[in-house]
Amino acid sequence: MQRDVGSLPLAPAVRARLVSAGFQSVQELLETGPCGLSKEIGISKEEALEVLQVVRQECHGDATRTTARSGASRKCTALELLEEEQAQGFIITFCSALDNILGGGVQLTKITEVCGAPGVGKTQLCMQLAVDVQIPECFGGVAGEAVFIDTEGSFIVDRVVDIAAACVQHCHLIAEAHQEEDQLKALETFSVESILSHIYCFRCRDYIELLAQVYLLPDFLSEHSKVRLVVVDGIAFPFRHEFEDLSLRTRLLNGLAQQLIIVANDHKSAVILTNQMTTRIGQSQSTLVPALGESWGHAATVRLIFHWDNSQRLATLYKSPSQKESTVPYHITVSIPFGLEIASCKGIFRHTDKSVNYVFLVLLFSSLMNITGNTGMSPDLLIFCTFSL
Amino acid sequence: MDWDQFDLNPKVIAALKKADIKSIKEILNLSGADLQRLMKLSSADIQCLLKTVSHMLRRSSMLTALQLYQDKDHRTSQHQKLSLGCSVLDNLLKGGIPLVGITEVAGESSAGKTQISLQLCLCVQYPYQYGGLESGAVYICTEDVFPSKRLQQLIDQQHKLRADVPAEVIQKIKFGNSIFVEHAADLDTFHNCITKRISLLLTRGMVRLVVIDSIAALFRCEFGASDSVTKARYLQTFGAQLHSLSTRFRTPIMCINQVTDAVSESEATQCGSSGLQCLSSTWNNLGKSTANETDGQPNTAA
Repeated sequence: MQRDVGSLPLAPAVRARLVSAGFQSVQELLETGPCGLSKEIGISKEEALEVLQVVRQECHGDATRTTARSGASRKCTALELLEEEQAQGFIITFCSALDNILGGGVQLTKITEVCGAPGVGKTQLCMQLAVDVQIPECFGGVAGEAVFIDTEGSFIVDRVVDIAAACVQHCHLIAEAHQEEDQLKALETFSVESILSHIYCFRCRDYIELLAQVYLLPDFLSEHSKVRLVVVDGIAFPFRHEFEDLSLRTRLLNGLAQQLIIVANDHKSAVILTNQMTTRIGQSQSTLVPALGESWGHAATVRLIFHWDNSQRLATLYKSPSQKESTVPYHITVSIPFGLEIASCKGIFRHTDKSVNYVFLVLLFSSLMNITGNTGMSPDLLIFCTFSL
Repeated sequence: MDWDQFDLNPKVIAALKKADIKSIKEILNLSGADLQRLMKLSSADIQCLLKTVSHMLRRSSMLTALQLYQDKDHRTSQHQKLSLGCSVLDNLLKGGIPLVGITEVAGESSAGKTQISLQLCLCVQYPYQYGGLESGAVYICTEDVFPSKRLQQLIDQQHKLRADVPAEVIQKIKFGNSIFVEHAADLDTFHNCITKRISLLLTRGMVRLVVIDSIAALFRCEFGASDSVTKARYLQTFGAQLHSLSTRFRTPIMCINQVTDAVSESEATQCGSSGLQCLSSTWNNLGKSTANETDGQPNTAA
């Protein structure tokens, strides 16, 4: 009952009038009544009635509010937060070097930004994560679903099918090696079709559609509570060409970042954004820096920069609250023609037991030799898959 | 914008009209606090307004990846591609060039870039079952005159070049009639071309391919080293316009780029073969697929 008038969810003009008329607590408002209120602050009787209705609702809400309501401030100790963080899973990327520098994989409840030059593999990583988030818990995954917001039109389903097939195969190999009940059971429902059916794709053609989609995200995630990953592929593309007024752009981007942070926190999901690079022309040289300006740099918790060094792809952890800055090489593997599709060989060989890995390697190469030997064909493309075991 | 058709509280509709807000874009451009001040409503009302307006804009836009994969309708499917008329190139690109987005062909001089685009202009006119789109093409020349003699040669030899298509089908297609040639030597003419003239042809369904030969020529002479910011801005605008045309009409856009040499002190002797694509990372950021012709031999066997 002692709640301050300034904290009520009223229209700002009405609030300002109440404060300037000298009302401080809601008790005073309720005592005055609608007629007195309308005379004192100069609003119509209907408006005064509405104000009192809001006040009564808020007071009722205060009395029954629980600490679990999102939006209300909740207190917890750092120990509780630590336990929560440790119990959370990571979304693995199927590249052990990348997972190591990230501290286990992509973290839930945080925004991770991946920046890079064109063609370096940002969309590939996003597609890989949209598949990896669905790995069942008995295999070390988070068993979630994924939302993929595509602004550039670069979401190619065929590639996702390749990645999903490799992931399913990898899980089959693990299950066969370990022969555990729950793993075999989980595999019954884990197939390429089930993976594809749990990736929700949205195509946004300009920044207005993107803003609208992000406003609708909280409701969508409440309906689909198993979503653990939200990908926005191409946050830079819609914002880089339509804006004469850069301050408007900064404001919209900040608002977007805030909404995504709320979504990440409330629904315990990871948010991945991909960004482009732009050239900053300095006095003597020019460097490639992430696009969208300096203020956007604060939006993401973790920042990865993908770049080329001659023909080697490198990933640098540029910003992280918990891991140290480091650079690792990574590869994007290709599929092999003659109908034998092994995309992401790296993924298959990520088994923790190294002896199992070597056995599979030998099996793989011997079967490839058999195929070329039997058919007598020389391959159109000679593929080298490099691994770091 | 007729606010009455929206599913909103009449008080909110009245406030919208009073604040003279005319479009969804204006609403989304303002922050929550600005909207509260402008329309004199509480934050709960504003949240409701934003959600309703976003819903209106994004009504039925969700598809699962499975639906995308299983979509076999040639008007919407991702599997639909435009064949290049050459089985080797088609295999490399897994069927051909995608229908949505800009495809860039870059290469050294006389590598075969114009040849492959001419071939594409003919390929697009074949029926769907032979990898075409049953429609015409627009060819925008920015530097040289259109190679009409070479096109005529290709047309005359189609029965040999496309042995996979039965002769009666080839005879029925009037190749020359469906290729529209535009010349645009400077930026303003080019801008006019892509915003007004091409949209007309695309809306009528007369063309399903746009070839720009070459995009580099427009920018190389007009911009010096110090104008990189203006050049970047033009590139981004053109790129975005082409991208949005391509998405709206599901039409592939093929851009021909030239190569330039990246000179660094240590590699001065190797310049000739390094051949970086011209036009900077701004152009490359526009999200396109690229086919490089480093050893390009003109393909006559398709």
